[in-house]
Amino acid sequence: MKKPLLIALKEGTAMNVPIRMLGIATSIFWVLLVAFIALAAYSVKDLSFDFGEPEFAVAPDGELTLSLPLYVDNRGYYSLKEFHLSTVFSDAEGAEISRDSTFVPVIPHGESVTIVHNVTLSMVSLLEKGEQYLFNDNDLNVSVTAGLNFAELLPAEISTNFTFPWGAPFYNFVLGEPAYGQFDSAQVAVAVPMSFENHAVFDIAGNIRIELYDSAGSLLSESQTIVYVPQHSAYNGDVEFYVPLSAASLSAAQNGHFNVYFDIGLVEYGPLVIQYG
Amino acid sequence: MAEQQKKSKNLVKDVSFRVVKATVKAILVYLLYFLVAPMLAPLFSLVPGFMESIEAFIAVYIVLMILSDITAKTVFQYFFSTARALFFMGYLLLSMGDGMFSTSYENFSLTVNLTLFYTIAVTLSLLGFARTILQAINFMHEKAEANSNLQP
Repeated sequence: MKKPLLIALKEGTAMNVPIRMLGIATSIFWVLLVAFIALAAYSVKDLSFDFGEPEFAVAPDGELTLSLPLYVDNRGYYSLKEFHLSTVFSDAEGAEISRDSTFVPVIPHGESVTIVHNVTLSMVSLLEKGEQYLFNDNDLNVSVTAGLNFAELLPAEISTNFTFPWGAPFYNFVLGEPAYGQFDSAQVAVAVPMSFENHAVFDIAGNIRIELYDSAGSLLSESQTIVYVPQHSAYNGDVEFYVPLSAASLSAAQNGHFNVYFDIGLVEYGPLVIQYG
Repeated sequence: MAEQQKKSKNLVKDVSFRVVKATVKAILVYLLYFLVAPMLAPLFSLVPGFMESIEAFIAVYIVLMILSDITAKTVFQYFFSTARALFFMGYLLLSMGDGMFSTSYENFSLTVNLTLFYTIAVTLSLLGFARTILQAINFMHEKAEANSNLQP
């Protein structure tokens, strides 16, 4: 005998169908969610980040640019979206020196991407914070934050702090004691030894102007020296002054001070007052 | 006498079936965990204590599932199912808090915004909880109906 297609369900079992459907639907969604999370976590394994060698460049306007290449190899199952990298440089007191960020909208899955993050440090603004950046090595505090939207569902952010060694371009700048020697009948040649070490990440090309003052504060002479000092190398040289030959001037020049003016393209600074005698 | 023997034989058969079913389900759940755990290993390594926490969760979940299966066809099945759904929600709420997952390693700190995943998981577990409540209501309804049918 053929059963009718629509048989009235017993009252007790009528609720079983929606309950069962609810159970099936919930289970399907759970399986999808767990599979997604498992695949996303598994994809992290196939994701690699690597930093390249940083490059430094000096712009004519006195800005020092640090280019940091970042290699992202996304071999995972999902694209990385809204990748952003930001760096904040600050001094020991926490005052902000520079803030830069890089944004990449999409890093597709299965692709390798090279991102160049540029950090600009203005020498002028650095010197506004103090002359120690010109003459003393320092540690700058760097705060790095990188974030991305993983698998379009999981925004993640990683942050770290470290110190960046700042090498002073005129580290240990010293002017020695003047040495007197007769130049001609009217003037005396004064040789002053000058030395410093360029600890900076850039070459120094510019000139240093030095004024020689006697104990009374009168300008006796001035001299200008063109210097070219490659990065991480020392400079040793003599600066020559020509002082008019007179008993009074020679006596007054036994002690006094130098006013030193630096012009290295990136920055102009001065006077730096150094006593002698 | 023969009918009583048949009844007790059926009871033994029924209990044995429930135990086997509970064991198979527990093995399947553990197998799923066993297969998924290596995939989540990169995540586990980032968070200290996460592996232990997951293991404890799986253990309690499996125990409640076994109890629920063994007590099938009784109201206790729904007690244990509800307890399991509540335990799941409680674990989610306690372990994930506001949905922001943060961890630190040396001087690196990682923050993952799991709010969306958390919302989906809580919604699904709420659906599971609602299902067990509906099942309990349905069971009591069926039982009451059966009793009323027996009465003259």
